[in-house]
Amino acid sequence: MSSLKEYFSTDWGAMTVTDWVGTILTVVIFLLMVGLYVYALRPKNREKLESKRFIPLDEDRIESGEDNGGK
Amino acid sequence: MDAVTAEQKYNFDVVRWFVVMAVVYLVVGALVGVYIASELAWPFLNFDSPYLSFGRLRPLHTNAVIFAFGGCVLMATAFYSVQRTCGVRLWSDKMAWFTFWGWNLIIVSAVLTLPLGITQGKEYAELEWPIDIAIAVVWLSYFFNFVMTIANRKTSHIYVSNWFFLGMMVMITYLHVVNSLAIPVGLFKSYSIFASVQDAMIQWWWGHNAVGFYLTAGFLGIMYYFVPKQANRPVYSYRLSVIHFWALMFGYVWLGAHHLQYTALPDWTGSLGAAVSLAMIIPSWGGAVNGMMTLSGAWDKLRTDYVLRFLIMSLAFYAMSTFEGPVMSIKTVNALSHYTDWTIGHVHSGALGWVALVAVGAIYHMIPRIFHTEIFSVKLVNIHFWTATIGTVIYIVAMWVSGIMQGLMWRAYDEYGTLAYTFAESVEAMHPYYAMRSVGGAIFLLGAVIMLVNVIMTVLKSVSDGSLRSARTATASA
Repeated sequence: MSSLKEYFSTDWGAMTVTDWVGTILTVVIFLLMVGLYVYALRPKNREKLESKRFIPLDEDRIESGEDNGGK
Repeated sequence: MDAVTAEQKYNFDVVRWFVVMAVVYLVVGALVGVYIASELAWPFLNFDSPYLSFGRLRPLHTNAVIFAFGGCVLMATAFYSVQRTCGVRLWSDKMAWFTFWGWNLIIVSAVLTLPLGITQGKEYAELEWPIDIAIAVVWLSYFFNFVMTIANRKTSHIYVSNWFFLGMMVMITYLHVVNSLAIPVGLFKSYSIFASVQDAMIQWWWGHNAVGFYLTAGFLGIMYYFVPKQANRPVYSYRLSVIHFWALMFGYVWLGAHHLQYTALPDWTGSLGAAVSLAMIIPSWGGAVNGMMTLSGAWDKLRTDYVLRFLIMSLAFYAMSTFEGPVMSIKTVNALSHYTDWTIGHVHSGALGWVALVAVGAIYHMIPRIFHTEIFSVKLVNIHFWTATIGTVIYIVAMWVSGIMQGLMWRAYDEYGTLAYTFAESVEAMHPYYAMRSVGGAIFLLGAVIMLVNVIMTVLKSVSDGSLRSARTATASA
């Protein structure tokens, strides 16, 4: 246990500005990614997202916007 | 959509040129590859000429297959699919032609400089600083045209294949510029601004991400458009494709350090690279399963559709190499595999099995649609499929056996603690496998030549039956 503690020990005082910017950015991007997973896997969003998979097959109808939310 | 409407609506001219040049570069790149593989088996092939030496021709091979063949495929497929999924013509025809000519001039400059020994010595980034600047400019023209085409789209949603292409374009711009930062000391000589272990880290941050974004994300963009199109079925799960995309974007940038296990790089950096590498198996396999399951309920198509076979076989190799890579990044395995031919085998299971096969499948899909005529010979496509698959398998099996044997011979020691084998003995033991690798590569090359013949004959057929000309004439008069 002590070796594990030692392995994960960090000298916070030695962190430079670059270290902090990198750490904060990484954590924020990671949390955004987790948020995106929640959004993508939420049952409520299933139909909305899955309807987009027909886009390559409906190219001829893209102009009309019938199936692809066209403008 | 009929030929006249397609020609009126989209710019396929530049796509046609990129496609033809991609096939030419596949043959050239594979030919140089087979030659240098043969040099390792039969060194007399150097002919004591510095211009033919392995050290000079190897970067020519990697540049030809990655940037000439791979680049032309990425540009052709991105320009083709973005127009079709967005329902609009390319934003700028002139800029697309600038990209085509610019990219091909860069390739010519690589062919001239690399055999002359003009190099920065950075793996997969050998070209000297003036060419690096040209790469950045031409790449940005490709990027900008793609983005502006998306901005003009007629759909509200941007299809996932375009996200993968965009991810590649953003990251390759960033990676190429940072990795190429150098101080020129002459027209053909420069020195990296990074030094020692930082230089190594930047080099492999670029090196692995060239694999991760250029050869993976870009080609996944191809997969997500061309597999559903060829199968005529929607992708198995759109939600899985979204997760695949973001996991790839977040995860890949961490992996470079696993190339530097047991070096001067801090130990934790390599461990972090290996840990994230292992985590990347999940999205990679998710993507491979997503592509393969697109055929769910229609597996019988594989019996008759050879283009689909290329695409599905490429996904099998993608799954295999994205499992093998993380395993090789684990320190215990890396202690055996690093610096051996196992790495070469791994790279080629990805390059030949995944990248080349998915690219070839996409090209065969596009050819009849952009030249408005049937492919010259389906039988030749069939023969190409088997030569490409068998050649790839022979190549990677040879390198697996040779690599593991190398690793074991290098670290074997006797009861007195001295090395059991000299380095020369390990080189001698590799000979049969180097010969076998050349044979595998030659079979793959034969398939590429067959493809080139088939493509040229299809283009000539299109000229003789006037299908392309009539579509373009009708477009011009409309």
